[in-house]
Amino acid sequence: MTLSLVAALGLIAACALYLAALTARAGADLVDGGADLPGWAAMFAGAGVMVAGVGLADHLAVVARFGLQAAHPAMGLVLAAMAGLIVQKRLWIAARMAGLASPGEALGRYYGSVTLRVAMLTLAILFALPWSAHLLLGAAQAVEAATGGAVARAPAVWVLAFFLFLPAVTGGWRATVLFLAMQAVLLAMLIAALAALAEGTLATPGFLDAGIPVAEGILRDLIPGVIQNSAGIGKQTAQGGIFSAMGIVSTALVFTGVALSPGMLCLAQTTAAGRSKGFGAVWLVAGLGGGLMLVLVPFLAARLPGLPQALAAVEPLAAVGFTLLLVTAGQLAAGFFTTSGTLIVTREVILPYIVPGLSPRGQRLAARIALALAYAALATLAAFAPRFSAVFGGLALPFAVQFLPALIGLCFVRWISRAAVIAGLVFGLLLVTFTEPLGLILFEGLFLDLPWGRWPLTIHSAAWGLAFNLAVVLLASVFTARGVERARRDRLHDEFAARWALPESRPNARTALWSLTLIWAFFAMGPGAILGNSFFSRPVFTQAETALGLPSLWVWQILFWLVGTALVWWLAHRARLGQTSSDPLRRIDFRDPAPVPGPARAPDWIAAGLARVTQRAR
Amino acid sequence: MSGVPQSDRIQRLDRHALVMAVWLPAAFLATAVFHHGFGPGGAWWVAGGFGVLLAGFGAHVIVNAVLGTDFSAREVALALFAFALATLAIIFSVLLTPGFAARFFWPAALGMMALAGAAILYMVIRNGPRAAFARFDIIRDNNPRRASRLPHRGGRA
Repeated sequence: MTLSLVAALGLIAACALYLAALTARAGADLVDGGADLPGWAAMFAGAGVMVAGVGLADHLAVVARFGLQAAHPAMGLVLAAMAGLIVQKRLWIAARMAGLASPGEALGRYYGSVTLRVAMLTLAILFALPWSAHLLLGAAQAVEAATGGAVARAPAVWVLAFFLFLPAVTGGWRATVLFLAMQAVLLAMLIAALAALAEGTLATPGFLDAGIPVAEGILRDLIPGVIQNSAGIGKQTAQGGIFSAMGIVSTALVFTGVALSPGMLCLAQTTAAGRSKGFGAVWLVAGLGGGLMLVLVPFLAARLPGLPQALAAVEPLAAVGFTLLLVTAGQLAAGFFTTSGTLIVTREVILPYIVPGLSPRGQRLAARIALALAYAALATLAAFAPRFSAVFGGLALPFAVQFLPALIGLCFVRWISRAAVIAGLVFGLLLVTFTEPLGLILFEGLFLDLPWGRWPLTIHSAAWGLAFNLAVVLLASVFTARGVERARRDRLHDEFAARWALPESRPNARTALWSLTLIWAFFAMGPGAILGNSFFSRPVFTQAETALGLPSLWVWQILFWLVGTALVWWLAHRARLGQTSSDPLRRIDFRDPAPVPGPARAPDWIAAGLARVTQRAR
Repeated sequence: MSGVPQSDRIQRLDRHALVMAVWLPAAFLATAVFHHGFGPGGAWWVAGGFGVLLAGFGAHVIVNAVLGTDFSAREVALALFAFALATLAIIFSVLLTPGFAARFFWPAALGMMALAGAAILYMVIRNGPRAAFARFDIIRDNNPRRASRLPHRGGRA
């Protein structure tokens, strides 16, 4: 098995290097790929990152531990597809109109705020280093387990990181995205093929026969209530499992965090015009990704942890495939976040401030040195600081969700002001920090024990942060909507209204779209999802019990996944949020006009004071 | 390569990457299914392996249709080389491995025929029967007279 695994990984690495060499020969721009990445590559790479970005190995382990309630948050892929559609098209247009190269620059220039720019850069680094290190470590642990320790964890980390670094440093952003797209197709194929192979060949009872085996006290195919009065993980054990309905909807927000991560926004900004955003969101993220995670992952999770050994007994290459699945998922997400984060930092900090005025060749060299340093730091963190990576990396996704109000403001809501966004962001980030291990460890270590643990009331930190964030943004916007910087924001929104208005001009259609989306969210993963526990086994208003042969909750999940995909289709195609056009765009400038220089004048209070003194002297 | 405009080079690169994205997973899956099929799995798994290759071919054809391209000369050469190698491997296995013919001759032979048939079908659909045949009709190219190139004499430009 070790030899087959090494050969498979070597072949993939060779493909990556080959693609990168071709990219370098074609002369594509290293930092942004020429900002015209092919739509198919962005679609596949984006969908792959959405599935792998939350940590596929962790997700499998959690589903194996908690059953179908833990698979339910994967409905968040539909939510993330919607969030991506809502944000990415208008961000793309704004970036092209105002010449904005990165998401941080877009937010910073639109709101006129250096703070937001720095916050976005910090988020990019959080994704690029600790979160990616955590994911890469998962991949290395899979290799170590598959080879029986023949390849130890630390060397595996360095080798996997090196083979991610090579395509990035050789071919830059374009080569990375092309390679990741290839890995995403491989990932989808492996999930589908392994689930089919396991069900088709293994004699032991699987998901359909015996369900997902869980520990006593955990409800394996039921949602344990709408919300639970639990102090949080680490303080109190939630009855029946941690994924209550509120736990599911709040955890689903994490997928939105991937869609709003700086890397994904950068990918959207650097993709060529076309219909790829819509196609990718509907068919790949919500459709294929949601289907794989909701329909097929339970089949794999039901046979964990002995699945690799069972597969090896039937077909050794299938066991190699399972390890390859975990490694590909880890590499896909880590490679994407690290390369995108490094190139964003290069573009926003290194080239303009640290080494300004470089020639194009010098800029490429600077980017390559930055990539080398970033990948070295990534491997060091993954190999030698796993706990640090887990604690800090765990903040990346919920932090990314906190940028939703700022992005909504940029794309649609002109009255959301800079002050409101920054105040909301501060509250959101604080709430996330104090409902995640970092804040708890720091506060309890320095001061006193807090009465809550991680995710109190079974609500994920992303939702705690977003709730306070939104409340503060709305409240602050009431008082600051007409601030002096409103004219700058109006420039963009006037252009949107004039040339890029939503085509669903009929008020009824627009109302129906948003109403249906809210109703869908309520029943698919909100409090209404509790009905799925027994809706298909003991239908409401009847006393009968139906012999469905399948868990009612699983059928509920599949039904609402299909409905959600239809809603994404509506957003993408009927509301035209999924297509961009290469028609010429009117240039706009966010900079305020320079003040007209006049004669130097002393401030009034100084002039008045002076006048009083001089008049008295006369 | 240096004479080709950069935009064309990048378009070729993007198509090449897409083709690799199709074939890398298909090749992995086909290898695993063939490995199981020629081992304990049996004839149906071998047929499944050929099915995966046909699916990969279908996806490659879709890529060509979407991007408005055709198979490149290198792709055709690689496919012919792999096909010839597989044919030789099957022939030698039939001749030298006891019991192979009884278990695998029909699935392997039918699978290879299906692959060849799919390629021929693609050419006929894309080019028409006459043009598809003309691609292999090297005898006509042996006539050195310029008049043989005239269209009304069946010549090719």
